[in-house]
Amino acid sequence: MKLKSLAFRLFATSAAWTLLVLPIAGVIIYRLYRDDVQASFDARLEKLVNSIAIDSMGGGGGTTPIAPNNRYEPLFEDYHSGWYWQIKRVDDDQAAPRLGSASLGHAVLELPIKRDIKPDANGARWMGSLGPAGEPIRMVEVIDSVERGDSAPKYSIIVAGPVDWLESRVANFLTRLAIALFLTGVGLVTVTLFQVRFGLLPLRRIEQGLADVRSGTAEKLEGELPAEIEPLQEELNALIASNQDIIDRARTQVGNLAHALKTPLAVITNEAREDKGALGSKIAEQAEIMRDQVNHYLDRARVAARVGVIGRATPVLDVLEPLSRALERIHRDRAIVINVQYPPEIRFAGERQDLEEILGNLCDNACKWAKSTVTVTAQAAAGRKGRLSIAIEDDGPGLTPEQRSSIGKRGVRLDETKPGSGLGLSIVTDLVQSYRGSLSLGQSARGGLRVDLDLPSA
Amino acid sequence: MRILVVEDDKDLNRQLNTALTGAGYAVDVAFDGEEGYFLGDTEPYDVVILDLGLPKMDGISILEQWRRANRNMPVIILTARDRWSDKVSGMDAGADDYLAKPFHMEELLARVRAQVRRASGHAKSEIECGPVRLDTKTARVTCDGQQVKLTSHEYRLLAYLMHHSGRVVSRTELVEHLYEQDFDRDSNTIEVFIGRLRKKIPGDVIETVRGLGYRMSRGPDEA
Repeated sequence: MKLKSLAFRLFATSAAWTLLVLPIAGVIIYRLYRDDVQASFDARLEKLVNSIAIDSMGGGGGTTPIAPNNRYEPLFEDYHSGWYWQIKRVDDDQAAPRLGSASLGHAVLELPIKRDIKPDANGARWMGSLGPAGEPIRMVEVIDSVERGDSAPKYSIIVAGPVDWLESRVANFLTRLAIALFLTGVGLVTVTLFQVRFGLLPLRRIEQGLADVRSGTAEKLEGELPAEIEPLQEELNALIASNQDIIDRARTQVGNLAHALKTPLAVITNEAREDKGALGSKIAEQAEIMRDQVNHYLDRARVAARVGVIGRATPVLDVLEPLSRALERIHRDRAIVINVQYPPEIRFAGERQDLEEILGNLCDNACKWAKSTVTVTAQAAAGRKGRLSIAIEDDGPGLTPEQRSSIGKRGVRLDETKPGSGLGLSIVTDLVQSYRGSLSLGQSARGGLRVDLDLPSA
Repeated sequence: MRILVVEDDKDLNRQLNTALTGAGYAVDVAFDGEEGYFLGDTEPYDVVILDLGLPKMDGISILEQWRRANRNMPVIILTARDRWSDKVSGMDAGADDYLAKPFHMEELLARVRAQVRRASGHAKSEIECGPVRLDTKTARVTCDGQQVKLTSHEYRLLAYLMHHSGRVVSRTELVEHLYEQDFDRDSNTIEVFIGRLRKKIPGDVIETVRGLGYRMSRGPDEA
C-alpha cells in the first residue's frame, strides 16, 4: 500500500480511530468493573456486620454482647486470614468483654469511630487499615448497644476483609480485558484492511480496464461498476470514443483530399501527355512531381493521424485472409500462390488500415517479383512479450546487399519495369516506425527477398 | 470489344473515351452511378472501367449488385482511394483489377488488354489464327508476316473474332460488342465488314456457319 494512495488514507484513519477508541473503552470498562467489585465487596462486609450486630446485641437478655452463634464466614476461624470481626466497647478500652473472631488472635483492630470518620446513611463507618499480619484490610463498623436508652454502653462492631482479594480479582479481570481488547483491535484493523481493499476493488478494475484499452486488448471500459464510479467509466468511454472519432474524421478528410486532388491530377497528366510539345512535357513532369508530393504528404497525414491514438487491436487473421485473396486475384495471370501461416489468436496492437497498408505493400511487392509462391509467416516474437514478428518471403530473384541498402529511399526503384511508383516501401517504413517497430531486408531460403517485420502485438 | 467507362469527372471521362476509342474499342460512358449501373446491367460489355467515388450510387455497390446478378464482365476499378483497405474491399466486391489515380494511360490500356485476353482465355498478348496474327499491344495485324492495313471497324471485328476464336460468334453478338450504345445498329453492316476483311486476309480464315454466325479457328498453340 503506497503512502499516497486512497487505500492508505482510508486504512490509516480507520486504524488510528480503532487504536484510540479501544484503550479509552478499556479504561472505562476497567473502572466500572472495579467499582462494581468494590460495591459487592462492601455489600458483603455490610451484610456480615449487620448480621453479627443483630446476633450479638439482641440475644440472651443479658447486659453484655455475646459471641454470634453463626460463623458466617469460615475464614473468620482461620488465623490471620484477613477476614476478621470484633466487638468492643467504644468508651472504655479496657472494659470487658472484648469479643473477636478466631482469626484475629490477640490482636485488636483500630476503631474507626475514634478516627472521626463520618458514618454513611446506614450508620456504617468505612476505613482502610492494616490487619494483624500487616496486610491491608477494609473495615466497616457499626455502633450498637445491648440495652435500650441513651445511657447504655455503646459497642463498636467491626467486620474486615482483605483488600488483596479485591485487588487480585480486579487484576485478573484487567489481564483478560487487555487480551480481549488487543484481539478486538487486531481483528478490527484486519477487517479495515480487507474492507479498504474490497471497497477499492472497482478502482483496480478501472485501472486494469484502462491498461487493456491502452494495449488494445479492449476497445472501451467494460463491466459493472459501483454507482459512484460509473460516471467516471462513462466519461472515459466517451473520451476514448471521441478520440477514435477524431482519428476517423482525419482519415476521412485525408481520403477526401486524395480523391479531390488525384482526379484533376490524372486529367492534367493525361492531357499533357497528349501534347507532344515542350509545354506538354513540362506539365507532365511537374504533374508527376505533384503526384509524388501529394502521395507523400497524404501518407504523412495518415501516419500523423495515427499518433496518439488510444489502442486498437487488429486480429492478423482479419487482415491477411482478405489481403491474400485480393492479391491472388490481382496477380492471377501469373498464378501466384500466397501461403499464410499464423496462430489464429495473434493480434496486432494498432489500426487495421495501417496493418493492411504495411502488409499490402510488402506482399504486393513480393507478388510482383515472385516466380510462383509468396509465404507470409506471422507469429509471437520468441522471448519478447508484446511483440509480433511477420516474415514475407518470395521465390523471386532477390536483392544483393547493396540493393537492399539503397531500397526504401523515397522514389528509388530498382527496376522500372515493374509497375509501382516506388513509394510503397517508404510509407511502410514510416508506418512501422510510427508503431516503434522495425523492418529489415534479407535473403529468403527460397532464393528471393525476405522482409522481416517487428511490430507490437495485443 | 465494347467498354463501359463510369467516371464522374467529365475531363477524365473524355480522356478515357478518346484513349480507348483510339485503341480500337467501342466505348460507352456514364457520368454517375445510376447510369453506370444501368448500362452495365443491360448491355454486354467486354470490360468495365469503374470509378468508386460516384454521385447517386457508389462504385462498390454497383459492382456488388452486378456480381449478385451474375454480370461477370471484367471490371477495373479506377480510383483515387489507393489504400490497401480500399483495394481489398474493391477486390472482395468482385473487381478484377485496381488502378490508382493518377495513372498513366498506357498502364490503363495494358490492364484493359490483359482483362480482355483473360476473359477470352488467351494467355499471350499475340493471338494467331492460321496465317493471321494479332498483336493486342500494338493493335497490329499481320498475315504471313506482312502487315495488314485495317480501318478501325474492320480491326474491331477481326480482334473480337480472334479473341473468341474456336467458337461461333453470332451477328447479334458482334453488333452488341462492336458498337457503342447509340450507334445505328444494322447487322447487314457486319456482312459488309466481313466481306472487306476477307479481301485483306485469306478468305477461308473467317468461316461462315450458316444461320449461326462466324468462326475463326483457334491457333495451334492455344488449341
